[in-house]
Amino acid sequence: MHTCEPPVATTEDWLKSYPSVEGNYGHLLLEQKMALSPQLVDGLRPYFESAHLDAREHFHAQIAIDLHPDADAAGAHACYPNCLPPTARRGLFGEVMAGLLAEVYQDDFVGAHSWTVPIFLFRFHADVESYLWTLARDPDRERQIFGRFGSDFIGLSLDDDGEIVRLIAGEAKWRNHLTQSAVDTLMLGDYEDDEDEDGERVRNGRGVWFEINRDTPVPHGLRQLQRLLELRAPDDYAAAILSIDRAIALDGPPLPRTNLILISGNGARRREAGDYLIPWEECPEEYTASHDLQVIELVLEAGADLIEQIYSSLWRGRADA
Amino acid sequence: MPEFDSERLEIADGLRRQLAVENELSRPQARAFVRCLQTSWQVQTIQWTERDSKGQLSDARRLLHAAHVFREIEGPGSKRAIDCYRRAAEILEWLARAADISRRQVPIELLAAGAYQLGGLPAMAAGLMAQIPDEHEGVALYGAFLRADFDGVLRRAANYWSANPDLTVPAAGRLLAASEDREDIERVGRYFTIELIRSLGLVADSLRRGDDARLARAMDKLQALERMAMRILSDDASLIISLLYQVAESYRKASIYGAVRALADLNPERRGRLLAYARDQFSRGRGVLWTSQLQGIDRLRQESSFALCTPTGSGKTLIANLALVRELLLREADGLAPLAMYLVPSRALAGEVEAKLRSELGSDMTVTALYGGADWGITDTWLTGDQPTVLIATVEKADALMRYLGPILAARLRLIIVDEAHQVVPEANENTRVSFSEHSNRAIRLEQLVSRVLIQRPNVVRIALTAVAGGAAGPVAKWIEGRADATAVGVRYRSTRQVIGVLETAPGAQGRILLDIMNGRTLYVRGQEQPVYLPLRMPPMPGIPARMRNSLNRFNCLSVLWTALHLVEEDQRILISVAQEPEQTMRWFQEALLLPAWANAPQFRAPEGFLRERFDEARAACRDYCGEASFEMFLLERGIASSHGQMPQRLRRLMTEMIERRICPITVATATLTEGVNLPFDLIFLTSLKRRSWDQVAEQQVVTPLPTSEFRNLAGRAGRPGAAKGIEGMTLVAIPTREAATAPKTIPVQRQQRAELQRDYDRMREALLIEEAEAGAVESPLALLLWTIRERAIRVLGVEPDDFLDWLESTAPTEISDEAGEDAADRRSRLADAVDELDGILLTAIEEIAKAEEQDMTPARAEEHLAQLWSTTFSAVAAEQEAWLEEAFVQRGRSIVETVYPDAAERRRLYQYGFTPLVGRRFEEVAPQIRKLIEEADTYGEAEAAARIEVFEAIGDLLTDDRGFGFRVRSTDTDQALLERWTDVLGWWMDEPDSFDPDADALRGWQRFVTNNLEFRLGVAIGAVVAQAWSEGAADAFAVPTLAEWKDITGMPWYGFWARELLRWGTHDPFVAFALSQGLAQTREAAAGRREEFETWLDDDLEEISSEDLIDPQHFLRWQLSLGRDVRDPFDDLPELVELTGTDGRRRRYNVIPARRDGRVGWMDPAGFELAQSDDIFDEFGPGAIRSDYELRTDSVEAHVHRVFTAGR
Repeated sequence: MHTCEPPVATTEDWLKSYPSVEGNYGHLLLEQKMALSPQLVDGLRPYFESAHLDAREHFHAQIAIDLHPDADAAGAHACYPNCLPPTARRGLFGEVMAGLLAEVYQDDFVGAHSWTVPIFLFRFHADVESYLWTLARDPDRERQIFGRFGSDFIGLSLDDDGEIVRLIAGEAKWRNHLTQSAVDTLMLGDYEDDEDEDGERVRNGRGVWFEINRDTPVPHGLRQLQRLLELRAPDDYAAAILSIDRAIALDGPPLPRTNLILISGNGARRREAGDYLIPWEECPEEYTASHDLQVIELVLEAGADLIEQIYSSLWRGRADA
Repeated sequence: MPEFDSERLEIADGLRRQLAVENELSRPQARAFVRCLQTSWQVQTIQWTERDSKGQLSDARRLLHAAHVFREIEGPGSKRAIDCYRRAAEILEWLARAADISRRQVPIELLAAGAYQLGGLPAMAAGLMAQIPDEHEGVALYGAFLRADFDGVLRRAANYWSANPDLTVPAAGRLLAASEDREDIERVGRYFTIELIRSLGLVADSLRRGDDARLARAMDKLQALERMAMRILSDDASLIISLLYQVAESYRKASIYGAVRALADLNPERRGRLLAYARDQFSRGRGVLWTSQLQGIDRLRQESSFALCTPTGSGKTLIANLALVRELLLREADGLAPLAMYLVPSRALAGEVEAKLRSELGSDMTVTALYGGADWGITDTWLTGDQPTVLIATVEKADALMRYLGPILAARLRLIIVDEAHQVVPEANENTRVSFSEHSNRAIRLEQLVSRVLIQRPNVVRIALTAVAGGAAGPVAKWIEGRADATAVGVRYRSTRQVIGVLETAPGAQGRILLDIMNGRTLYVRGQEQPVYLPLRMPPMPGIPARMRNSLNRFNCLSVLWTALHLVEEDQRILISVAQEPEQTMRWFQEALLLPAWANAPQFRAPEGFLRERFDEARAACRDYCGEASFEMFLLERGIASSHGQMPQRLRRLMTEMIERRICPITVATATLTEGVNLPFDLIFLTSLKRRSWDQVAEQQVVTPLPTSEFRNLAGRAGRPGAAKGIEGMTLVAIPTREAATAPKTIPVQRQQRAELQRDYDRMREALLIEEAEAGAVESPLALLLWTIRERAIRVLGVEPDDFLDWLESTAPTEISDEAGEDAADRRSRLADAVDELDGILLTAIEEIAKAEEQDMTPARAEEHLAQLWSTTFSAVAAEQEAWLEEAFVQRGRSIVETVYPDAAERRRLYQYGFTPLVGRRFEEVAPQIRKLIEEADTYGEAEAAARIEVFEAIGDLLTDDRGFGFRVRSTDTDQALLERWTDVLGWWMDEPDSFDPDADALRGWQRFVTNNLEFRLGVAIGAVVAQAWSEGAADAFAVPTLAEWKDITGMPWYGFWARELLRWGTHDPFVAFALSQGLAQTREAAAGRREEFETWLDDDLEEISSEDLIDPQHFLRWQLSLGRDVRDPFDDLPELVELTGTDGRRRRYNVIPARRDGRVGWMDPAGFELAQSDDIFDEFGPGAIRSDYELRTDSVEAHVHRVFTAGR
């Protein structure tokens, strides 16, 4: 289970925050105010290790079983998540940060609910799965085989009895350069090959807005979260497990929910302090779901290096400065 | 129970009750099913939107979640979880088969197949997967696993490894941990998949081999992958991985190896043989046991008797096999070779069971079905050998054997298996009551036979098998276990989905199908909702001449044929079930098919190759027994098989084969075809739900509705998983929607007939729905007989109810009617004959006890024994009975000994004859004459055909005038005329040269005469005399009959041995009967053709050849031996020398599978690691090779691959 307290002091030293809430829309801009340093990495590492601990154990448990008939006792191949390719690590980083920021900045979030992340799911992209179905590598394949993937991140708000009173779920995206056009592509989808009648380039509309608007009442992944709670902490989370049964099995009103969008990456070259990419004054019109929405823009400097340093140091002690 | 478990269960159960109650479909579910059917039939579907799809998919997911909650809290056996899995699976199946858009979201067929497995419906999983086209290789591989097709999993895995050799090196097991290729984002998914294929391959192979150690390793890995998937894959993908793991776990638990190892503990010496049996079951696709089988095996281990109730096709045979293994092979031998009696309801089924048992257990025990007429068959192997023996027999045959060889049988008997045991339950109707008086009731024969065996061998193990759930299962269980609190083992479910409805026919219009009931639940609410139709996409039936359409029934039958001919094009296998008079329907079919307007109907294409040979053999037999001009022949040539109870046995078996091998896509048959025989039909048409007969006494037509049990049995034959068109079998009653006639006088008549058909159907439909909901009380044969006697005595004779017992104690049948024992149909005679039936039962029981105890019977001892016998009858055990019944039974038994048949010697003879005593007494008058005729037939061997047939004629003449033991025909003019010229029938049947042949219309009448009178009555009369001769001559009751001593003991010539056999095969020549029975020739003509061969051999063998030598069965057998066995030497598997590639051989033995490797064979660990390579010298390792097992063995010098199990075809 993920038990590490959020590194509040480190985060506040590290980031400058610009929170705002308008109605059921919250926007939080976070700017890096401290240079990348071993202290920062050390400050964040425990939280990251705690977040990854469960997945790491199961990764290792699986890898340790070598089915070769001559294989002896379980081999020690400790590697997760260090062994993962950088792209995958950036995805994982976003998911952990979504949890970390939700816990640290919960008072600034829309609704000011208290958020907890009992366990992290680290799901890969849908296209990672296409091999599972086709058993073939097709570098040209763009289309994923089956079309349902769902949230990158799920957090819970529990009442005093441990029942879930609200969920936070959503997307955590990393872009190396947080330019307006990169973010527009992310949120609205790529440009279509063909221009419209007026000769304007048109986006295909298959971006984060689309995904988040069409998500099912019960976020995908909640079932998996429940399975993990059942396996790892059935007593501590008994009431939460029951809440999830209700949410999944019953036809009644869905659990109250906050949608989260976390966009992280390095700031654009000409970016000024306080510049934002998604409007904060009012909820963007592209958002049509009825749930509360919380947007976080996490603007870093040398973010890729930070990720590299955090991930290469997990379970290995201090990072190289 | 943890804190919130009860609330979790409550939530899950709320959903179950809302969406997954076993016998209820919600409206949206019924709509989804109908849409799926309409899609399968490629007809316009009902209105359906994306919203409907989403709703159903969401319901299915919710049900899967509820199932998870039940399993989590109540364990894997949770019944409520099973309900949820089943319904979720159904919903998903219907979406998948309707090519629903949700298939783009997730491979729903995998979810469905997994849910069917966990819901305990493996056949549905297999059926569904066979329907869905494989779009993606991975989906196909997981699908093969979820349908328990382990050979298929390994084939696909081997192909994968062949295509990806770099993944088969030893280091490839640690690829994910390696740090190369760091930029490849797909890497995680790919390596996950590779490990998944390794695990599934290893699970599949280890399951097949029963290698628990490797299986455990593979399961650990699969579980680790499941846990990992829960974290890294999407919700749907991880759900599918979870299902794969849980299903694998269920396979592990239900593997036949577990059951077989437990049995092997009884006799470790047989362990190897049992394990080979288990492996063989895997190669037959039956290695994973069904829930009902596991329960049955559990009972086998407890050594108790039990009734197993499980649907057709769900593996009753396996339980029977293991019971045989347990009782015949695993027990301590006590000197006598053990014997099991396997009772089947029909001779056709005896053949089917024999073939199955031989193929699986033939090398361990003698399996014989005693096809022929001779009482113990043509060879005496099973009698004289010291091998364990399984005797497969109908009740009649078993009864005759008991009379002949009772003590020997009883001494060897260890086990009785009663197949289709629900047949012990009679229908409470007039037909049944009459059948008592006619001594033709099977239920009471079965009841009495088993009771009599139990009296002699109380500890014999009994196993009842039945496919009929509901009413009969409980009482059958009580009977077979002999305890009032017994219940049937097994679960109530259907192995296939059954739809019942109507085929609407109308002149000049396209037909359509009205769907009514699915698995016992209605598909729409009558009067409130739109009926559900499948319009048929075929041209309307062409107009037919007035003489054809003036009979509504004829029009209806032809519409069915027209529909069937077109549906064959869509790969449907169709049965047209005829209630009576199949020859009429066949004639109608022939005449219609000859109409010019029908020339465009779809044509039958005869198969090629091996199937063509089988088809030609059936044609030859049909020509032989029915004639070139018969309807049977005409239809067979057009791909339409026919079958009815009077068809000669050999032809019937071949017709069955035509259906089984799907050579003939259409079959027209009476109900006898499907009694207990598992034949593949997608679609069954009925053209009538009643039978008509003529009551000669009352001079009126008697109309008997088809019993629901018969309809249910028939409907149960529809549906074969894996069919092209759908998983569901349909049973459709054809009803015209308009009159077919145009003549003004005929129209009102037909209107009335239509209304009647509709009424019959509505009544059947209601009755089926009611029976589905509640199981009513069942009747018992003996009780029904006693009640019948009592009611008639009161009604016909005016006996006071209070005086009934006194009356019964003191009355002889001859005092009731002068025509007693003569099959007279008046009420007094029927009563007298019913009493005679009871006397027969009592006398048989008393005599068997007297014989076994070798003591004279006294009234008091009879009473004591009969009370004991009563307590073992179905009537006594299955239901609470009024006390007078037992009293009546026992008292009547006492008076048998005391007053009715007081002469012990006479009782012994009457018992031996096998007739009811009154009939037996009259038979005794002719028996010496029959015996004399047999004794005089000592030149039969060398006699000409005419002289031979005269012997039968002379015996038959003694039978023509008596209606008790003699020939019996119906009182119709045709049948009476046939009796007059019965010698013509005899000559034709016995293949006399230049005999009269019946024309096509008359054929079935002749066949009926043969079956009822020549095979049966003449055969029984001769058999009774022969048995009597044997008993008189044998030194003691335990003497084992052998061919060597047969003549000495009976004092008869070989004719006596052969007579019944000849009557059964329809030949005057014993050699022909022998050759046909041993499969040495296909037709009587061909068999006769081989006689010369035999005689030449005999000429060389004997100095002097007597007439008797020409028909001596011992010579026949020696000749057959001299032909040499047509068995190829078992392929001597030389181990293949291999070169180690991926192992140093340290473990000495490795399980391996072959995979292609650039023209060589790569010997792979089933987890996908290449261990060795060799040349494929014999080109032996084709795609089929994967079905066998191989082992790599190494020593310090060399390495070889051995084939350790060879899969059959």
